[in-house]
Amino acid sequence: MAEISFPLPDLGEGLIEATVLEWLVAPGDQVERNQPMVEVETTKSAVELPSPQAGKVVRIHGEPGGTIAVGEPLIVFEVPDNTAGIVGTVPAEEAPRRRVRLSALPEDD
Amino acid sequence: MSNSPIDQMDVHSSDLEAAQHNVDAAGDGAGAEGINQSPEIAAQPGHRTEIMSMQQALNLALREILGSDPKALVLGEDVGVLGGVFRITDGLQNEFGAERVFDTPLAESGILGMSVGLAMAGLHPIPEVQFDGFSYPAVNQIVCQLARMNYRSRGTLPMPVTLRVPSFGGIRAPELHGESLESLFAHVPGLKVVSPSSPHEAYHLLKYAASRPDPVVFMEPKSRYWQKGEVVFDDGISGSNGGSRSHGGASASTAVSSGATVASANLGSKVVRTGKHLTLIAWGAMVSRCLQVAELAAEDGIDIEVLDLRWLKPIDAEGLAASVGKTRRAVVVHEGPLTAGLGAEVAALATEHCFGSLKAPVERVTGFDVPYPSGDLEDEYIPNIDRILFGIQRVLEYRRG
Repeated sequence: MAEISFPLPDLGEGLIEATVLEWLVAPGDQVERNQPMVEVETTKSAVELPSPQAGKVVRIHGEPGGTIAVGEPLIVFEVPDNTAGIVGTVPAEEAPRRRVRLSALPEDD
Repeated sequence: MSNSPIDQMDVHSSDLEAAQHNVDAAGDGAGAEGINQSPEIAAQPGHRTEIMSMQQALNLALREILGSDPKALVLGEDVGVLGGVFRITDGLQNEFGAERVFDTPLAESGILGMSVGLAMAGLHPIPEVQFDGFSYPAVNQIVCQLARMNYRSRGTLPMPVTLRVPSFGGIRAPELHGESLESLFAHVPGLKVVSPSSPHEAYHLLKYAASRPDPVVFMEPKSRYWQKGEVVFDDGISGSNGGSRSHGGASASTAVSSGATVASANLGSKVVRTGKHLTLIAWGAMVSRCLQVAELAAEDGIDIEVLDLRWLKPIDAEGLAASVGKTRRAVVVHEGPLTAGLGAEVAALATEHCFGSLKAPVERVTGFDVPYPSGDLEDEYIPNIDRILFGIQRVLEYRRG
């Protein structure tokens, strides 16, 4: 298993920090990509941050009411070693799905 | 056509073939033997098999190349200490040392420029460009140096360089991490281009590519790195592509004939599923998708052949013609944009060879003429099962006149 840290992104244009309002996940939780992760407030608005990836939460940084600077660690995930390198995600093996059916039958074969 | 593309490439490198690769050159010169039409990779008695991912297969191939060829070097961004962002070079620096497996600065022009210099000095570099889109800064070195140094020097400075490029899309990566550059590379005289579709092909084609005296662009389908598959080894003939090429009897007893076996197993295209109504032509990650489509089409009573093109330059025109000539219908599938994509070349070759018997124009199911999209949109961009089925339907419905 490997750990991947996600830093607080710039949530507006040139914002330098955000205040944690409420954590929606806790260490030990298995989260999915785009799952709401934390609510933070900036000088512009309060926003809910979605998880950038799937994984198990190892650590969260910042208590409710605390301030985190842009670029500082926000959350650390534990991911399997076969996570797709530094970017991307391992494609899931899915059963093939179809909507199109072939109707024309070859005439002379 | 008087010469097959394979023969033409041999003319280009014939001096070095003769000088350094007598064994393999014997196989290359066989021309028609480069067409592998044996569909099955059957485990046969005497052939060791192992289930592994393409990551592991490539790692093993690199380990064996470094172990057997003292001139081989692996270089690139994060290939050393980290072991590669896709773990392909994992453990190699520990095993072979930082002089043979080393990290480079973040400068693809430097990685390729250094590789050209190393090749001029007689070494066999295996550079990695971390992602397809990062090849663009190195196009000058690839096109103006790597591809034509042998030609420019009248064969005195061959470029035995294997350029590994994690390629194509499918992993939800950001911009410039999902490009399909095969038509760009295939258009450059002096380059060979190959893309494996499975762990088995990855292992054997990488070992074969690294034994070539010419530069080979090795396009690894990054969305297939993690899927496991059977790799058939043939310990008697190192680097041979599985047991399917065994002709039985008196073959493989001399060095020359085993060399021919290695070359013929690794050159050309490969029928990975036989069928009679239509040929799906694909490479890289699209091969497994086309195999899925063929299974679905069988439910509708359509029997589809799937041709893994493998070599994108030179294209195995004879193998293509043999399959399309039999089924009389063809759909070519690739991830890259439609216009001037490699599908156009495949369609032209199939038409040229099979014009009299084709029952419909060769259909292309491809990406779109837009920059590769990131995120969820890539499912709309990459040919999906339904788009391929629609392409098949259009060909089946076509009537002349």
